[in-house]
Amino acid sequence: MNKLLRTLIPFDIAKGLSITGKHFAKVFFTANRRKVPFHIVSEYPEVVAKMQPRFRGRLTLLKDEQGEIKCVCCMACEKICPTQVITIEKGKKEGRKMPFPVRYDFEMERCIFCEFCVESCGFDSIILNHQFELAAYNREDFSLGMEGLEQNMFVPSPVGKFSVADD
Amino acid sequence: MFKNEEMEVNLGPQHPSTHGVLRVKLRLDGETITHCRPMIGYLHRGVEKICENQTFFQGQVWTDRMDYCSAVANNLGWAEANEKLFGITVPRRAQYIRTMLNEFNRLASHLIWLATHALDIGAMTVFLYAFREREDILDMNEAFCGSRLTTTAFRIGGLREDLPPGFEKLVTKFLAKFPSCLEEYENLLSENRIWKKRTVGVAKLSAEDAIALGVTGPVLRAAGVPYDIRKAFPYAAYAEMDFEVPTKTEADTYARYLVRMEEMRQSARIIQQCMDGMPEGPVMAKLPKILRAEVNEVYHATEAPKGEIGYYLVGEKGSGNPYRFHVRAPGFINLQALPKMAEGGLIADIVAAIGTLDIVLGEIDR
Repeated sequence: MNKLLRTLIPFDIAKGLSITGKHFAKVFFTANRRKVPFHIVSEYPEVVAKMQPRFRGRLTLLKDEQGEIKCVCCMACEKICPTQVITIEKGKKEGRKMPFPVRYDFEMERCIFCEFCVESCGFDSIILNHQFELAAYNREDFSLGMEGLEQNMFVPSPVGKFSVADD
Repeated sequence: MFKNEEMEVNLGPQHPSTHGVLRVKLRLDGETITHCRPMIGYLHRGVEKICENQTFFQGQVWTDRMDYCSAVANNLGWAEANEKLFGITVPRRAQYIRTMLNEFNRLASHLIWLATHALDIGAMTVFLYAFREREDILDMNEAFCGSRLTTTAFRIGGLREDLPPGFEKLVTKFLAKFPSCLEEYENLLSENRIWKKRTVGVAKLSAEDAIALGVTGPVLRAAGVPYDIRKAFPYAAYAEMDFEVPTKTEADTYARYLVRMEEMRQSARIIQQCMDGMPEGPVMAKLPKILRAEVNEVYHATEAPKGEIGYYLVGEKGSGNPYRFHVRAPGFINLQALPKMAEGGLIADIVAAIGTLDIVLGEIDR
């Protein structure tokens, strides 16, 4: 008799359905939905996404207090890079004892964001910034060269910079 | 007039239930599978060969990209294999942090298994709930090493950095809510009659067959063999941890589900013990400037979420890169059991068989 009742009335499925119902009610009857525990949806393009401090994004060259590029072309990052995306050309600049990178190419299409370059740098002259919206239409937008690498420094992520609506 | 003819069907390589690009050649007699052969190699990148051309330090980034659902477990195996090769002792604090992150990774991997396996069989709801908890774990990955999926978490000799400030709070918060989440999944699935109809007695693999085929991990434990490398050959800080190895004897899909659910509970226990007994001290061993191999070859096996992952490294004197590198991937070996599980069953059940093996094609093809 008991078995027949259990076959006729799907208690087990009702049990599972009640979980969904509970979660639905929790969100539905709360005025401020962001205060619902377990509410994990974020309003991403409008609200800037928060990155952790150690987040690994786009490679950037750092400058010192005088506004000069810190990199001294020791080539440690070029050597350690597992995908060989960094190309540095040594050069000289007037009024500077240390070598100066004439060219610092970073091919972002092939970068795997492992942060080995930053780890190997003995002069703390590069970081991976918190930029994560790295899609672009043209190849030139990835390989930014010296100018782009400097410009990218500490610039907050350009939300919607490459969105279709901008065109 | 009516001939009894067998039909050949290709499942995949673009089938959503094959978890990647797996093609399964099937021969069907009506709805019964008479012949089943998995065809692999669609995702082959030559990871082993790439690693042979790179230094020991660089090799780790490729292990991330093998089994991308459990990158930390792969990193741990790689780091420990190298430490064995170079004879490095890792500081105790680093061992504890490694153990903790490895267990978090096991949770993440099992959660993604639960989500996709249930989705394949037809339970959509669990997918959303399981990914909610996995999100927290990935956030912790990001807080620790800066990346969510391809972590590159460890270094040869220890860790790159200590735990970030506020990490303990994240862990405590996660551990406080995780048991209730597990209960939720079990309420949704364990007694559900549809779930039971699709899993109980499906894709059986006896202990003898499993051992003969070299199957490891939860699939072997669900057949009643309590083989877990964390217990059998303890590595990292597992020797100091108190946990159980769950086993079942039914050896079907439902038993594997129960084993993995229980494993998640044990993982949460291990994480709690790591947090409680976390020693102070450095996280990086003192390394020589140039790594030189002391023994010629090394094989190191660790318990990845999917089974035994083993790294075989041959070092050359005076060379900075491995002479030979081989990975014993758990998914690759476990996939061999698929014909044994599927043949004689219904075609609808092969989806459950693939899901229950918990394969990741990135690791199988490498």
